[in-house]
Amino acid sequence: MKVIGIIFKYLSVAVVLTIFVGPMIWVGINSLKPTPELLGTPSFLPKKVTFEHYKHLFNRIAFLRYYRNSFIVGVVTATVTAVAGAFAAYSIFRCKYPGRGFLYRFFISSYVFPKVLVLVPLYIMFSKIGIIDTPLALVAAHVMLIAPFSVWILRAFFQNVPVEIEEAALIDGAGRVQTIFKIFIPLAAPGIAAIWINAFLMSWSEYLFASTLVISDSTKTLPVGMAYFLQEYAIEWGIMMAGSVLIAIPPIIGFAFAGKYFVQGLTAGGIKE
Amino acid sequence: MKRISSVILKDPTFGLLLVLPLLLWVAVTLLYPAVDAVRISFSNVRYVGLPIKYVGLTNFKHVLSEREFWDSVIRTVIWSVSNVALQLVGSLGVALVLNQEYKGKEFIRNWIILPWVLPTIVLAIVWKWILDPTHGVANYILIRLGIVERPIEFLSSTTWTLPTAILLNCWRWIPYFSVIVLAALQTVPKELHEAAAIDGASRWKRFTHITLPFISPVLKVIALNSLLWSANIFDTIWLLTRGGPLDHTTTLPIYIYSKAFRSFRFSEAAAAILMFLGLLLLVIIYLRILFKEEGAQR
Repeated sequence: MKVIGIIFKYLSVAVVLTIFVGPMIWVGINSLKPTPELLGTPSFLPKKVTFEHYKHLFNRIAFLRYYRNSFIVGVVTATVTAVAGAFAAYSIFRCKYPGRGFLYRFFISSYVFPKVLVLVPLYIMFSKIGIIDTPLALVAAHVMLIAPFSVWILRAFFQNVPVEIEEAALIDGAGRVQTIFKIFIPLAAPGIAAIWINAFLMSWSEYLFASTLVISDSTKTLPVGMAYFLQEYAIEWGIMMAGSVLIAIPPIIGFAFAGKYFVQGLTAGGIKE
Repeated sequence: MKRISSVILKDPTFGLLLVLPLLLWVAVTLLYPAVDAVRISFSNVRYVGLPIKYVGLTNFKHVLSEREFWDSVIRTVIWSVSNVALQLVGSLGVALVLNQEYKGKEFIRNWIILPWVLPTIVLAIVWKWILDPTHGVANYILIRLGIVERPIEFLSSTTWTLPTAILLNCWRWIPYFSVIVLAALQTVPKELHEAAAIDGASRWKRFTHITLPFISPVLKVIALNSLLWSANIFDTIWLLTRGGPLDHTTTLPIYIYSKAFRSFRFSEAAAAILMFLGLLLLVIIYLRILFKEEGAQR
């Protein structure tokens, strides 16, 4: 009876993993199969390992350019988000002035707010001021999508930084700004790093705004660029497999570093609400 | 000590100065455009830059008279309700499985969220490949097992596409919600389960009488979030099917997007979005009140 229980337990875990993690591993393996094998009868392990699809990714399509575009937009978005988000969070959770509770609620609701509403007005606004189809337009939109969320994540982090240390520094005659840079930021660094990574990953994945605000091939980000090849009648499967592996790498690395923080953040929020 | 710091901390200009950059950014890119959306919906914007003419309720009337609009409303309801139901049951199931004691549980509980971490374009490539009628492994297995004779067109037949898209969206969100349910399950006191087990309560009884009541507030939050997010899903559907075949997966976000960026009827799109969000808001408020009353009765 006990043995059956154990078997059932591991079997159930294995089924869950196969469903949710299996597909990505399958694609990773397939990206290494030569085309005839890839399109022939499926076998689990490749009979012959090849990197030809990865090579084609760089030779035959503008993958590197999309990658670079996504990377630039992601880094700028993440940096602006981290700085503006940390400032705002410090102000809301550390300074006393009337209306900061309202500001907090304002940022939270702007995070939950369905952003489809502003897609058309933003498109029109960016066209009028002439930044449509530039990385700047996309950064502007991405910071709006992501930064309010970072205020929320930072809440838990900032609460863990004791106010007393800051107070001691202030009493010792350090200025307010000096206290922030010398005392607070080093202590809150893991939190700020976590929101930087999170913002980069959200920007890296974002499709809706990217597909409307950047249009020409030279400014396209990865999701938009790859989506174009996915709708073709004859999809180049090998290239798509290799592409999806390379797109998945930054999120996997980012999650390995900061995953535990944003899982904490999201579970705390989910339970508290 | 407290007194000194509170004097310094009370300086309001410093605090406001710090919050200003983000506040301005959100005001310019979210608040102003949101108001602008209302203005656009009452005017006739067809080309960017042309002078705006106010047309009253014309756009709303036009959208409401379209069959495609009502079809996508119905599809949005089907899409959202099945997504919420499957995600609730699925995330509870996955959380219960992962909540057992097994080797490597820390690692697995952390990484189960992978489908949610990956960009939607990866989801689209991965599943389009697996479900491909000629080369996909899913149809290969189904045929080898003798379940079907001819490959199923998962993402291009009118019967299968909507159910497939719903399941794939669940594939993405179940891990996310199951992580939240898992955290909630840790708050259920072990002593209660042990005591009930000694009293001879079956596993099922313990689940329905102890576990479920304990985590039901979290499940309600999940249901609300899942509803709000499912109704708004655009990229998953668009990248998998572009709303097809023959509009069979055109939910409201897809309808609105096509209206704005394929037909370039910006004003009608804005009118449709406002009606969509109004409807969504009503449903969410109604559910919140419903949940609160239930909670009060207990």
